[in-house]
Amino acid sequence: MIAIVDYGMGNLRSVAKALEHVGAEPVLTHDHARVREASGIVLPGVGAMPKAMQRVRSLALDELLRERVEAGVPLIGLCMGMQLLFESTTELGGADGIGLLAGSVERLEAPKVPQIGWNEVSWRRTSALTEGLPQPCAFYHANSFAPRPADDGDVLGTADYEGEFVSVVERAPVYGLQSHPEKSGPDGLRLLRNFVRLAQVAE
Amino acid sequence: MILLPAVDIRDGKAVRLRQGRFDDETVYADDPLEAARSFVEAGARFLHVVDLDGAREGEPVNLHQVERIASELAVPVELGGGLRSIVSIRRALASGVTRVVLGTAAFTDPDLLDEALSAFTSRILVGVDVRGGQVSVAGWTRETQVRGVDAIRRMQARGVTRFVYTNVDRDGMLEGLDLDEVTRISQAVRGRFLISGGIGSVEDLVALRELRLLNLAGVISGKALYEGRFGVREGQAALDGKGG
Repeated sequence: MIAIVDYGMGNLRSVAKALEHVGAEPVLTHDHARVREASGIVLPGVGAMPKAMQRVRSLALDELLRERVEAGVPLIGLCMGMQLLFESTTELGGADGIGLLAGSVERLEAPKVPQIGWNEVSWRRTSALTEGLPQPCAFYHANSFAPRPADDGDVLGTADYEGEFVSVVERAPVYGLQSHPEKSGPDGLRLLRNFVRLAQVAE
Repeated sequence: MILLPAVDIRDGKAVRLRQGRFDDETVYADDPLEAARSFVEAGARFLHVVDLDGAREGEPVNLHQVERIASELAVPVELGGGLRSIVSIRRALASGVTRVVLGTAAFTDPDLLDEALSAFTSRILVGVDVRGGQVSVAGWTRETQVRGVDAIRRMQARGVTRFVYTNVDRDGMLEGLDLDEVTRISQAVRGRFLISGGIGSVEDLVALRELRLLNLAGVISGKALYEGRFGVREGQAALDGKGG
């Protein structure tokens, strides 16, 4: 079972449908016991990270996710959910994140944000997460902010939006995508399928 | 440039109209989701969905169908048709669509346009539907005295940055685009725009690519895809300059 962490930010149905499509059994929940039963955890998110972090904290999900990652359970953050995995953000005057990955989240340097649309991600290295995907690989992005990992080794894929930004990160068992794989067609579904397989292997 | 297959919904079915005429319709699929799914399986990266009943009624009628498409399929979806209040726009965006196309409301309700732009910024597109050279509103049933380029300039002055330009006279006719017209629109648009109405063949797409218009973000195609004039993958390859 894959747990989609539901903390009340955004429409999670398309994420759930995409996971069902690749053969997973997603459950939308913020119940700690349910999340502990999951072989893999998806942390979605849209909107502003400081507000999301407040909700995550009020449900004690930060503690829970830290515990699950220490137990080796694969966790993937999607879009703003990926940003939450970092230590801090500069958005809305600044806020802390969950801190599972070192580094901060900062505004894209482009004069026009958000970037909304398909953008090609170039892989820095191979990974089980990106198996079977082309180089480069187009994903659907909708973001004004992006992470700046402190450890360059965590960077799996980058893209260009009037300057390079980090789009995919990996520090197993923690993964993150700045894009929306559930809106990125067959390649996006392939990546989710790879994540589901990682979760099954870890089980 | 992206090829956006069009899924127009009327009475719960996927249909095409000729020249925007409601009395000249062809039903292509009883379930719009299946029409949309076949486009995505054929390689579509974005879907353009129009609620034709909504366009006529002045508020969305087929939102349930739209929600199914947006949640079941793994590509972004844009929706037009009947979005004439902030509540409708909010409901449409909550149903899972990525962006909405305002038509009539953008021309007749400046307060709504301002409110929508400030709340949803680049998720708002304005549809400029031109018939006989003039902007057409209210589900293509009413013409105005405004020319397309003038409408675009006025909208830009209000803060609109994304447009969908449709030549309604060519829509559903499969006779190709007026490339001079597309170039004129490109020169008027300071942001980005999509073009729709008249694509009939891969050659039309190649001709469009060869214009090399940097602000032309994509092409909407309906009938040509339904009638199998070309496949989504083939059409996208032509726009990418790979074959075609």
